Formats: sequence, C-alpha cells, structure tokens
Amino acid sequence: MAPARSSRVRLYLGTEKGTYVATTDLQRSKWKVTGPFQPGSAVFHVVPDPRTPGDVYALANSGFWGPGIFRSRDYGVKWSEVATPGFPPPGQRKAPKEFGKFPPEAIRALWHLEPGRADEPKTLFLGADPHRLYRSDDSGASWEENQGIAQHPTRPKWAPGGGGPCLHTILLDPERPSRMYVGLSAAGTFRTDDSGKTWKPMNRGVAVNFLPETRPEVGQCVHHVALDPSDSTVAYRQDHNGIYLSEDSMEHWTRVGKPLSTDFGFVVATSPSLPGGAIFAPLSPPEVTRTMPGQRFQLYWFDRKKRNFRPMVRSSPFLGEFGNHREGLAIDRLDPAGIYYGSTGGQVIYTPDAGRSWSAVPFQFPKIHSVSVSAPAG
Amino acid sequence: MPTVHLDGMLRQYVSARSVEVEAADVSGLIDRIEEVYPRLRYRLRDEAGTLRRFVRIFVNGQDVSLVPGLTTRLRVGDKVDILHSIQGG
Repeated sequence: MAPARSSRVRLYLGTEKGTYVATTDLQRSKWKVTGPFQPGSAVFHVVPDPRTPGDVYALANSGFWGPGIFRSRDYGVKWSEVATPGFPPPGQRKAPKEFGKFPPEAIRALWHLEPGRADEPKTLFLGADPHRLYRSDDSGASWEENQGIAQHPTRPKWAPGGGGPCLHTILLDPERPSRMYVGLSAAGTFRTDDSGKTWKPMNRGVAVNFLPETRPEVGQCVHHVALDPSDSTVAYRQDHNGIYLSEDSMEHWTRVGKPLSTDFGFVVATSPSLPGGAIFAPLSPPEVTRTMPGQRFQLYWFDRKKRNFRPMVRSSPFLGEFGNHREGLAIDRLDPAGIYYGSTGGQVIYTPDAGRSWSAVPFQFPKIHSVSVSAPAG
Repeated sequence: MPTVHLDGMLRQYVSARSVEVEAADVSGLIDRIEEVYPRLRYRLRDEAGTLRRFVRIFVNGQDVSLVPGLTTRLRVGDKVDILHSIQGG
C-alpha cells in the first residue's frame, strides 16, 4: 500500500556518489539527511512521482556495473532496482551471442526520468545516452525505445555535448495530450504532436557558434528547457549559446539578453508558485571556469512581460566558486515558493520565501547532479 | 577445466569465491558463469558484449582484458581471475 501524503519537504539529490534525501519541516528549520543510496554510482537524476505519493526514481550510473534504475515506494527509505532498457530483469537478459551479428549499442548513461501524465499512472519516460528516448507503461518493469527519435532523419547530424550524446530534457505538454518535447545535446529541441511517432526539430532562431553553419536546423547544444506553468506554448531555454524565449510552442526562439556579462549556463526552472517567468543561473563562459561570476552565489529571475532579468540574491553570504549541472535547481509549489539550488561543489542553498532570505542545508554533499523537491501543495 | 577466481566486489552477484567451468575462450567462460549466476549478466559485459570499463581478466596471471580480450583461448588447468580495478576519489 502506498504511504500517505507527507507534510514534510523533501529534497532528492542525485550526486556523484549516490542518492541523498534531505528532509525538513515546512519552516525548513531543521534538516535530516539520509543516504547515500546506490552508493558509489553517479546518480544523474532523482525524481519523485507526483502521481503516487512516496514513489521516487533514481537513475544510477555505475562505473563498475553499468546503468540502473532504482525505485523507492516510501519517500526514499528503501530502494530496489527495476528494469533498465536493454538491461531487463536477470531471467530475460540475452547473452551477447544471442544478438547475432547486430548487438545493440550499449546504453552508456541514464539522464532523465519524467513521470507521465496524471491519467497514465504507470507511464514513465526516460532519456539516455546515446541519444535515446524510452517509454514504460508498467512503472518501469519494461521499456520500449521511441523509434521516432531512434530513426530521426537528422540523427546523423547530431553530435555529443560535453556530457556525451545525451537526451536530458523531457517535457509533457499539460494541455495537449499528444504533444511533448525533448532536448538533446548537441542536437537541440524536438517536438512531437502525435505522441512520439514523429518529431520536428524546434531550434529556429537559436545560434550555434561551434559549427560552420550558425543557424542550422539541428546541432544546437540545448542545456535545459522549462515550460511556463500557466501557458505551455511558452518555453524558456538555457542553451550553450544563450538564454532564449519561445511563445509559439518552440516554433521560434528569441534571445532575450544577458543577466550579467554572460548568458551561458545550464539550469532553468519554472513553477506555478512563481508565475510569469523563469529562474536562470548564469555562469562564466564555457571556455573559462563555468562558475558564477563574481565568486558568489547568485540566481536571476527572468520576467517574461518586462523582458528583463533581476537578481534574486541581493547580498550573498555565500562566497566562492559555484557551478551546477542542468538538473541542479528545483522550485516547490508552496506559497511563498521554496527554491533549492545544488552545486557541483556539494552545497545546497535554498530560500523558503521566494528569495527574501537564503540559507544552506548544513551538510556537505558530493558533487550534485540533480535536485528535486516534493512538498505538500501550497 | 579452467578455475575462475572472482573478486570481492562480485560477491553481491555470485555466492562462490571460485567456480570451475568448461569453456574454450574467455567469452564462453563468461557466458557459462552468467548461466549459473544470471544476476551477473550485463554486469561484467554490457548488453553489446563489451567488457565493462573496470573489469580486468587475468589468465595465469597475465592481463588479457584488452589484448587478446574476450577471444583469449583457454586450456585445461588455466587459472582465471576476474577483478575490478578501483578508481576515483
């Protein structure tokens, strides 16, 4: 039986050394940290399933044993492995010789798991390296590869990003059941309007400075994308080559300026608790340190109507080098909104009041790959 | 029949410290071990059949992981060690 809904706020952290769970109260005054789970694995994404209270999935990439998907049914206390694509339960695994002359290309890493829509309670989507998208309709007991992505006609033009040829972003349109988006490095964003049968590149207007053609159809190194919580035709994009806004379901993208001297970065996050824009974390350019300018922690709010950025951290007590990965920022749905940032240096910095005050979780984590939050509805 | 010694890291998948299996080469040897211990499948090799990055295979003390690799021939009485190189910080 699934556990009852919890009144606790929980952060699920995917780190270089495993999964951690940081639990606190609604005031976020005291923290309890448990873990590591999947110890020793680089966990790229840990995500609670909002459809089933207590269910949490972790994507563990072990240098020794390969990739694996783990699930907890009790908010991250106990974990067990479910099937991984190409890596079914032990009794169903083929010996390499059984594949004949054409063995599959091995999955190198699992990057992002996206729970399906509310009316598909057992559906999960999974993004992986090399450039793969999978779907499960039985809560991860089996997986089917999306052939629209696997056979995409532009696939020969796709290149690996710095983290490899990964499919790292999966967005389900909440208002159009057959529409979803994916982001791949370095291929760009793609949209399907027929539940994944066909995919259209959605990169018009996004510049590329590392290819001979500066405005190609595909090849963009998208870092992360978030949909506007009140209008799913609006999308905010952190690309290798800047920050972009689309207001027509990604048909066109417009570069919206720089929060600082740079518009490089990895994260972008939105939430119904912070309507009207998105949060970005600008980093120094990729050829430099990829850390926050000024050697201090800072985030920026992009206001869609005003088309400008404003700092969310006025006088930061957090000095030093702050870098982050693309899943390193999460926002809860409380009022006021809680915002949680995980750095590659292992710090978690958060605000319980939409940016008025900032604190750090009193625990030094390993390098953080992802931050997710589950909290009671605000 | 070659004797295979398994390192401590494999103990979570294999109950024995060593096993004896009939096999003509290293690839066949891993096939056979995986038949006996199905939880080990895809842990030493990925689903395409390539040895995972940190797996090292020694035959009579010689590292054959890369060359000759999985096609290394085996003879009666050979001693095979399957080890993991430990890395990272």
